[in-house]
Amino acid sequence: MGNNLIGRHTEQHTQPSIQDTGVGKSSIVCRFVQDHFDHNISPTIGASFMTKTVPCGNELHKFLIWDTAGQERFHSLAPMYYRGSAAAVIVYDITKQDSFHTLKKWVKELKEHGPENIVMAIAGNKCDLSDIREVTVKDAREYAESISAIVVETSAKNAINVEELFQGISRQIPPLNSHENGNTGTIKLAKQTSQTSRRCC
Amino acid sequence: MRKTGTSRESQDRSGKESEASGGAIPEEGWPLTMDVPCAQRRVSFFKLIDTLASEIGELKQEMVETDLILKSESGSTGDPSLVQDMENIFLEKKDFKANTRDSGYDSFSPKLSVLDKLLQTHPVWLQLSLSDEEAVNILQCQPPGSFLVRKAAKLQKKFLSLRLPNESGSCLKEFAIKESSYTFSLEGSGISFADLFRLIAFYCISRDVLPFTLKLPHSISVARTEGELEDIAQLGLNFWTSPANQITTPASTAPPACHRPPSPGGALPKPHLINGLSSLRTRTPSELECGPGKGALCFINPLFLQVHSQDGGGNGAERRRQGRAGWTRPPPPPRPPPPVLSSPRLLGVFKKPGLSMPETTVGAESPERKPVPVPPPRLKKQASVSSSPVDWDGRDQSALSAGAGASCGSESGQPNRCGGGRQQQRLSDMSISTSSSDSLELERRVPLFCYEADSSFEDYEGDPESDPESMPPPLKPSKKRSSSFVLPRVVKAQLLKVSSVFTSLMTPERRMVRRVADMARDKRTYFGCLVQDYISFLLENKECHVSSTDMLQTIRQFMTQVKNYLAQSSELDPPIESLIPEDQIDMVLEKAMHKCILKPLKGHIEAMLKEFHATDGSWKQLRENLQLVRQRTPRELGVCAPTPDTLDLEKIKARFLTMQKTYSPDKKVLLLLRVCKLIYTCMEHNSGRMYGADDFLPVLTYVMAQCDMLELDIEIEYMMELLDPLLLHGEGGYYLTSAYGALSLIKNFQEEQAARLLSSEARHTLRQWHKRRTTNRTVPSVDDFQNYLRVALQEAESGCTGKTLLVRPYTTTEDVCQICAEKFKVQDPENYGLFLFIDETWQQLTEDTYPQKIKAELHSRPQPQVFHFVYRRIRSDHPGIIFIHEDGDSSSDYLP
Repeated sequence: MGNNLIGRHTEQHTQPSIQDTGVGKSSIVCRFVQDHFDHNISPTIGASFMTKTVPCGNELHKFLIWDTAGQERFHSLAPMYYRGSAAAVIVYDITKQDSFHTLKKWVKELKEHGPENIVMAIAGNKCDLSDIREVTVKDAREYAESISAIVVETSAKNAINVEELFQGISRQIPPLNSHENGNTGTIKLAKQTSQTSRRCC
Repeated sequence: MRKTGTSRESQDRSGKESEASGGAIPEEGWPLTMDVPCAQRRVSFFKLIDTLASEIGELKQEMVETDLILKSESGSTGDPSLVQDMENIFLEKKDFKANTRDSGYDSFSPKLSVLDKLLQTHPVWLQLSLSDEEAVNILQCQPPGSFLVRKAAKLQKKFLSLRLPNESGSCLKEFAIKESSYTFSLEGSGISFADLFRLIAFYCISRDVLPFTLKLPHSISVARTEGELEDIAQLGLNFWTSPANQITTPASTAPPACHRPPSPGGALPKPHLINGLSSLRTRTPSELECGPGKGALCFINPLFLQVHSQDGGGNGAERRRQGRAGWTRPPPPPRPPPPVLSSPRLLGVFKKPGLSMPETTVGAESPERKPVPVPPPRLKKQASVSSSPVDWDGRDQSALSAGAGASCGSESGQPNRCGGGRQQQRLSDMSISTSSSDSLELERRVPLFCYEADSSFEDYEGDPESDPESMPPPLKPSKKRSSSFVLPRVVKAQLLKVSSVFTSLMTPERRMVRRVADMARDKRTYFGCLVQDYISFLLENKECHVSSTDMLQTIRQFMTQVKNYLAQSSELDPPIESLIPEDQIDMVLEKAMHKCILKPLKGHIEAMLKEFHATDGSWKQLRENLQLVRQRTPRELGVCAPTPDTLDLEKIKARFLTMQKTYSPDKKVLLLLRVCKLIYTCMEHNSGRMYGADDFLPVLTYVMAQCDMLELDIEIEYMMELLDPLLLHGEGGYYLTSAYGALSLIKNFQEEQAARLLSSEARHTLRQWHKRRTTNRTVPSVDDFQNYLRVALQEAESGCTGKTLLVRPYTTTEDVCQICAEKFKVQDPENYGLFLFIDETWQQLTEDTYPQKIKAELHSRPQPQVFHFVYRRIRSDHPGIIFIHEDGDSSSDYLP
């Protein structure tokens, strides 16, 4: 039942909840980063922080994905992780109703303390196990609409919708100056993220 | 022979024949005597020369000849100026020469290389902000081949404006300059250079993609002394219209053909003037010249040319290129002139500098027009020692010849280059500055060396040996090069050995950092004053910061501000843009800031941090909590993955200890990354499982507790506050955040146990940090950091004591006197006054003057002067304020 935040220049923060390893946020990130893995790009030292550059229109968006520990005891550290981020992915487990509740708590926290204009995406993971699902698609969709977030059901295991999740985020992040190329684009992004984060404290 | 056999055999059949004919070599192969390999080597060397010569053609043969001249130099009576010219083209040669020559000839009559001249006179031709219109105005009155380097306002791109011969239709042609991450090159050319000066120097000698070579203005090319060049440089842009340029142009050289085209086919006898198409053929080195009376400049790096002809696919390509770049094609129409921008450099000359406090905020102004915030004092040339040969070509030239052989023999895989001493030298000389496929190998190594050299030669840096598998990923993933290859450990060690060779060669970055650091120590520069004043202020005013964060923040802000100042000021001479590609400038300056500010302050900062934490009791609490946490099992800390064993913990601890020794926050972060990498390795334990933050953070907490180092607290605080804000978004930022988080958990362990949550106070602190670090990216003003004034107290009994005071621009002398009275604990302030000691005279400042303005005015004078502000007793019997003072000992001036 985790929750992930993603930024774009980009920081993603994953914030799973009490049953830390349950929802598979790390799996989603790994799946996203490692599929079509570009060996020219230096790998990061571990899975807590990963990067991936994806084309979006004329731009390249570089995702810097910050994984956030989801256990309750680390909850208080979360603000440090979502500072400056442009987007957040919050992950729940469709087979666990609890995780959906926790997700709502995270959304609330982000709304209150997170960066202004942060793009939120809700990912219902483990959609390959839909026969034992506890959270309906309808519930998730309605909730997402109420907070104007992206919602998608994913399966990190079977690589379903993971790419789409991040592309959706990419599209939602406001475009940069169109003539920028990829390189300077990421720098721009850095600036932008800093702006968006101003309000968050 | 056997050792190098594979490398040479291919080209060395004749060498083998000679072996056979010598009859000394039996079938077994390994030579029986020692003489034979020598003979072989010699033979193979000559053979090698032959091979190379045939590859490069006649040009190469020229090279061999010059080589011979060089070799026989000691005994030869050959034309010394020829030799010298050749050697001087690139400054690197100088050191080498110094080693081999004992006559001292050079030290008596130094001759200036093209590169020297370019460096010294860049205010003339390097006109980054010059408009098209102005450029046309200037160049149309100059002979063909004259040039300027400018920057396109819109594209942020530099280009070369070249004066064409009149018959070519348009008088100017522009060539874009390409800046890749480490090099400068002309667009369309395969040759790249470490900096702009080397690029221009090369094109003064070889035309490559240009229609003809560049010509230095006559008076520059005939200048013999630094003094002459200096005078020329002083003129700046005005040089072009000044008599210095016109008069000295001898009648025999091109008359400035402003309006009158030269008679067609007119016998233009000047050797350096290009007359028409006939000059389009490839020139041999002997034809390349750098001005009258200088003899042929034939010592171009031969590999440049070789490489180039390879790139171009031989002569056909050469011709094509001529067609492309020459003026057989009509030149492009002149660009519409952009709005006229006056050169900041010129402004600097005329503007009364310093009196108004500089406006740094660029604000509405277009970013490419950099205002000169504080027109810095025009430095006497000795201040540019840093740009004089010694510094320019690096110090390790001697190591070069020693190491170059090793480098090309052992790793480069270009054995045929290892001909002999000279060849090696040339190879290593240039491989850095070319970007051709030939030298790609070496070039790609640059970033690696860059890092390693930095660490191993300059500052203490981590332990690359203990962790071969985890070369840390670079902080900036965008720098592909440093990460894309992994070297086996053995090779790495070898590389390390020869890396001193490369430090001298490859990094303009390092040179720039060194130059900035030198400047920071030089109080004759404005920048040096800022830095030194600030440092002494901090050292003397321990009480001026209320908390550790306050202190670190101010320092960070100061660094950012000075960095901005430096990027905009003309005090860096030559301008940084001519040496460092644009997108690297900030990074390079950041490094320089660490070196000139953090390095001297490191000890102080640490002591202060300790003091703060001791005072507020946080260390005591941390110590207790560390104790507490260490008694917990990993499980109790939420750890679900394998943890590092004792051995690994020792390694980690060693790395943290290393971290304490370095002053650079970047390097500290790099070490932190290594620690984290090691933790991951332990966690994964060959399972192949990927661990996210849920697992990693508890383990990190566990590890940090086990290390039981109070100092980690300081280290992390240091990094958090002083790291370049841009890096906070990257991997380093992430793990730094995690480490900070882990430490916070430890600090609040007891509360956490009670409430399972951090105290609200701790949360508040985190938020504050976050806010600070993400918002302080606004452009700072210079005001804040020039507000220091160093004042000495002079007492009859105790001599001088100095203090650095915070004095704002509009603080009057009266106020300063008050501050002084307080600071120096003077009992009878009415008997004291503030004096300016300059030119051996004392002037008492009147109450309504502004010391900061006076200081600024003094700094802006063309001749730097030594001056001091002194707070001292007023001589009541001496109404005249000025009196002579001798020898710094003023006891005689005091009242009895």
